[in-house]
Parts: sequence; structure tokens; C-alpha cells
Amino acid sequence: MKHKISSLSELQTSALREIVNIGVGNAVTSLSKMISTEVKIEVPALKVELIEKVPEVAGGADTIVSGVIMHVSGDIEGYIMMLLPEEAARTICNIISSEEEVDILSPFNQSLIEEVGHILAGSYVSSLSDFLGLDIKISTPMQTFDMLGAIIDQILIEMSKKAEYALLFDTLFIIQGNRTNGLFLTMFDPDSMDTILERIDKMI
Amino acid sequence: MIIVGMADSAVAKKPAKITTLGLGSCVGISLYDKSTGVGGIVHIMLPSREQARSKDNIAKFADTGIPLLLDTMVDEGAYKHRTTAKIAGGASMFSFNSQTQLNIGERNIAATKRTLKELKIPIAAEDTGKNYGRTIILDTENGELTVKSALKGIKIY
Repeated sequence: MKHKISSLSELQTSALREIVNIGVGNAVTSLSKMISTEVKIEVPALKVELIEKVPEVAGGADTIVSGVIMHVSGDIEGYIMMLLPEEAARTICNIISSEEEVDILSPFNQSLIEEVGHILAGSYVSSLSDFLGLDIKISTPMQTFDMLGAIIDQILIEMSKKAEYALLFDTLFIIQGNRTNGLFLTMFDPDSMDTILERIDKMI
Repeated sequence: MIIVGMADSAVAKKPAKITTLGLGSCVGISLYDKSTGVGGIVHIMLPSREQARSKDNIAKFADTGIPLLLDTMVDEGAYKHRTTAKIAGGASMFSFNSQTQLNIGERNIAATKRTLKELKIPIAAEDTGKNYGRTIILDTENGELTVKSALKGIKIY
């Protein structure tokens, strides 16, 4: 890795954070329109973590969530994940489908969550690719309801073949006041970080 | 309760419980020697140390993590020839992966079994494969391994 993450300049760090903020901001605007409900985000936290520590950082390996994962490819490689605690998944399904008793495990609601994740990641990635002038695609989404650690360990395994540390951005989004929240997690591999930083360096 | 993280291991003597959380494609290997009450868990991510770029953490790989766990247990007083294994995990969480690449969960299970065979440690129980996550808890009091899942209930081996 050419750019040691620890040696990121203040300027690079804030540029990165800003780019993710804009991307997630766009994604959340799409979500907000979809469910006609106000959705707020917190400023993304940028973290450099040992890959094996990621489940803890993301909320605990045994936390049960509805997770949607997409693979990012093209000029940069990585993953985008939307992790929703049961309550958040239920709130989103409830608002969209207006079912009274939401069973978040029904095939309909599972694909609904999957599609919400896909739309969010789509607007996120398109804003990233506009901003950075990079060609970035996302895969079809994969959704499951299970323990957080189990959902993401396959991705961490893939990443651990290339790197020791992962650069993560986690953004908490809050739906309907403070009632429920979810997590948007982005991980890029080290080469992709270099690509992104080169673009940023040209801009600043 | 002692918590073993990803690519981590721990050994304890009775009466203690050791757990590792949210195993997906990773495999949790619990070893136990009933005669001394010494037990341990290692949470491996990959089959072999040769596959990784960073080679510092040997608990990450089946072929180095399991011998590490066994050695640590022997240091704590366990008898190698009385030690048995119970294994869990190695799921394939998302079906699409089986087509794009050789399933990592299955490869982790195969490497785990191969390593245990080389070490001549019999497998007393296994709860592996399928498509859901597992949390395991080893009770060093009796060697029981509890396997919990989000939707498939709790099993005790």
C-alpha cells in the first residue's frame, strides 16, 4: 500500500469524509423520498481497523440485523453494506408496504429490504463516481437476516487475503426522529484507497 | 465468559465458559480434554496460512490456528491424546457465492478436518455448513458445546 493510512493528511482525511458524506447524503435522500419520512445522518466516521476487529466496530458479531451487501467494482473495489436492526427493518417495511403486522422474514419484505439497500447504494455510488470521475459499479444485492458477524465474515475473509487493515466509513442514519436507526458501512481495499486519494490530491 | 474474537483463540480450565460469536463462513473449533477440564476455542477465517498476505496472526488459519490452540492447551495441562474436537460454522451465507468461487465455508471445514486428522484429534460433534450464522459456547465443566443461531434455535453437543 503506497498510502499508509496513518499518514493521511488532515486535508485528505476531511476530503474523504466529505465525499462519503455527500454519497451517503444522496442515498439517504433517496430513502427519505421512498418512505416519505425524514431520515438524518451523522457525519461519517472514518476508521482504520484490523480486519478481524470490524464486527465489533460495526456493532457486535452477535447482533442480529437485516443486512444487504453489495460488491463495488470497476475503477475501485470494495463493499457497501446496509445493516438494519430488526426495528429499523420493520419500520421501513411498515412505511412502504403499509402492512399492519410486518413479518420482516417474508419473501416480500426481504426483497423489499434488499431493494431499498440497492437503491441507497446506487445513489451513493453514482455520487461517488460523479465526484471522483471514476467508473464504479455495484453488484446485485444480497440480503439476509442473521448475526452481523456471520453476514459480513465472508467479505472480511476476502479482504484479509489482500490486506491486514480495512478502511471503513460508518454512517448512522436515523429514521423518524430518534425511533430507529441503521448503519451504512463502506469498505475499500487498499489499492482502491490509493486510487481515490490520487483523485483527491488532484482536486486539492 | 471468555470471548474469542475473529482470528483469535483462548484456553481455559474448568469452571469457565468460552465463546465465539457470529460464525458465518468462519469455523469455530473447540478442543476439550475431559480428564483435566482444559478446553479452548479458535476462530479461523481461512484454510491455510499460505493464502494470506499478512502472515503474522497464526490464529487466522486452520492449518496453524488449530496446532496453536492444541499447544496452548497442552501448556495448560491438557493431554493431547485425550483431547477431542467439536466444530461449528463454515456456512455459505449467500447462495450466489457457490457459483463465482469455490465456497470458502466448505474449504474452511475441509481444512479444519484435515488438520485435526493430522493431529490425530477425533471430531466428537459438528454443526457445519448450511446458510446461517452460529455462536458457540464451550463449557469446560463438561465439554458441552452450545450452538446458537438467530432463527434455528439452540443445540447442545
